[in-house]
Amino acid sequence: MRFRILTTIFLKEMKDTLRDRRTLIFMLAVPILAIPALMMFISQLMMSQITKEMERTSVIAVQGEEYLPAEFRDLLFQSGAVEIKDESEFETDDLTEEVLNGSIDALVVIPEAFDRAIEIESPTDIEIFYDEAEMRSGFAVNRIDSIFDSYRDQTISSRLDKYGLKSDVIEPFEVHSYNVAPMQKVAGEKLGAMLPYLIIIMCFMGAMYPAIDLAAGEKERGTLETLLVSPATRGEFVIGKYALILMTAIVAAFLGLGSLYFSMNYMVEDMFSKLGQMLALELDFSMMLLILMIVLPMAGIFAAVLLSVSIFARSFKEAQSYITVLNMFIILPAFVSFLPGVEMDYTMALIPVVSASIIIKDAISGTVEWQYVIVAFVWTNILAGITLLFARKWFERESVLFRM
Amino acid sequence: MIEAKNLTKIFKDKKRGEIRAVDDVSFECKPGEIFGLLGPNGAGKTTTLRMLSTALVPTSGTAVIDGIDVAQNPKEVRSHIGFLSGNTGLYGRLTAREMVEYFGRLYGMRNSDIKTRIETLFEMLDMNDFASGRNDKLSTGQKQKVSIARSVVHDPPVMVFDEPTTGLDVMSSRTIVDFIRKCRDDGKCVIFSTHIMSEARRLCDRIAVIHKGTKFFEGTASKMLDKSGQDNLEDAFIKIVGEER
Repeated sequence: MRFRILTTIFLKEMKDTLRDRRTLIFMLAVPILAIPALMMFISQLMMSQITKEMERTSVIAVQGEEYLPAEFRDLLFQSGAVEIKDESEFETDDLTEEVLNGSIDALVVIPEAFDRAIEIESPTDIEIFYDEAEMRSGFAVNRIDSIFDSYRDQTISSRLDKYGLKSDVIEPFEVHSYNVAPMQKVAGEKLGAMLPYLIIIMCFMGAMYPAIDLAAGEKERGTLETLLVSPATRGEFVIGKYALILMTAIVAAFLGLGSLYFSMNYMVEDMFSKLGQMLALELDFSMMLLILMIVLPMAGIFAAVLLSVSIFARSFKEAQSYITVLNMFIILPAFVSFLPGVEMDYTMALIPVVSASIIIKDAISGTVEWQYVIVAFVWTNILAGITLLFARKWFERESVLFRM
Repeated sequence: MIEAKNLTKIFKDKKRGEIRAVDDVSFECKPGEIFGLLGPNGAGKTTTLRMLSTALVPTSGTAVIDGIDVAQNPKEVRSHIGFLSGNTGLYGRLTAREMVEYFGRLYGMRNSDIKTRIETLFEMLDMNDFASGRNDKLSTGQKQKVSIARSVVHDPPVMVFDEPTTGLDVMSSRTIVDFIRKCRDDGKCVIFSTHIMSEARRLCDRIAVIHKGTKFFEGTASKMLDKSGQDNLEDAFIKIVGEER
């Protein structure tokens, strides 16, 4: 390895890459433009959906309404929160079908002689059928529940009066819960899902095009052979190219992080101040350092694997189709951050990408456990070394370089 | 200057088993001589030249280039060889100057030497008009000139041309042919492969006929005609490799 040759290769590849529009789009345009735009679009869409559902009156049906006591009936029918469709409007007998097909949001079934049961103070049940998959159906249940709650409260207090008891009898104590978690941890939980995923995907995408261009591209252009017959060694080409791919991967990951930081703190906050405050991302130097420490060896694995796949491929297109498959193996483990309740342990620390995903999530919520970070860091570095050695081996194999 | 000794290359293929791409081929090429490898596609010409230029390692046998053994010291051999093939391309996003500079550095030349060499080459090949534009904007002929400059930036004593005129139009192929002649006149040892009989006859001082990985003949074009008793190279070729229809 001669330093002058390595820098020659690295600088040439950098010049070549920076003049490549395709790489620039993936490395710069996607994180800088697409992420804020996507964030804005998603948050706006969510807000408008929720507002729309909240303003809408829920439509329900009540079976056995003749058994409702008069007061309860008035409460339900005159609340204004729900609109009640008459049973005769439906053709089917099984009204749960109507819930499923969306013509009503929920179905309330009052048991026979419900009014009588209330009167004689015998226990009884009301059933609600709803569609968990639909937001509007959930809203309807909430509204019905609050109406039922107020009737229940009325019933309880009239019974207590009847027996001359105070309300303390059935409510010996009240519970108040307070949030003691710092804002950072709350934000971590909300943001933590998305940020690691985005960083990892950006990192991979940033490495992808340079990797294809630097190895499969050499084959396609017919420049590979001219390199092989030059006195620079194959090892020097691997290291020079690897360094450039690694650099683009890191740059892309941190552009993604920076862009997300910007859109969280400035764009979303302006639009919905409360949500914005909750999501505001606090980045400090030590957190950035930790993220760099864990992203760097992972990017090393990406760079080495992508370079190996790319030199194996006969053409640009072939490399692209291999990498599409490879992409799946990155997206799935990166997705771990979205799964609730996934906690760091030694097994997780040993799976590359998964470990990075969890550690970045923990870094944001300020709950980093160093013993796992060290295990993940050391192990990911070992894997990066092994994959790099493998890439080098492939650059020396005639059956890979001159694949027929 | 080039001495191929029993060069053999065996490829292992999963479906077809062992393929002897080049089988026990020996020949000699002297400085100031153009030596042609003549044979149809798939004859083993490219594989032979790749072994000479150290891109491939011979399965057995070896070659001595400028006194250096390709099997023992491939790295040293590389700085003594210039390589150009019909398929060699350029880095489209670099300029001609950047491209030649890059290869000068890969060959371990000093920056000042690279600069003077580029001036000489660009003047000689009449490239100064387009040396600062991106390679992908150049015409085919201009691209060929960049490739030529790239291949001789380190002024090698031995030149290897693998089907250099394949797929080129008359003008571009003329540029290459003139360049090959100039290499010989400069006293370089030139080896080149072709499947075009007329080209071999026009250019080569001596010819080796290769077919199915084996050498069938080595000598001048007129000797080849004499030996086969034919009056043109095509018939002579068929006769020599013994594949008459």
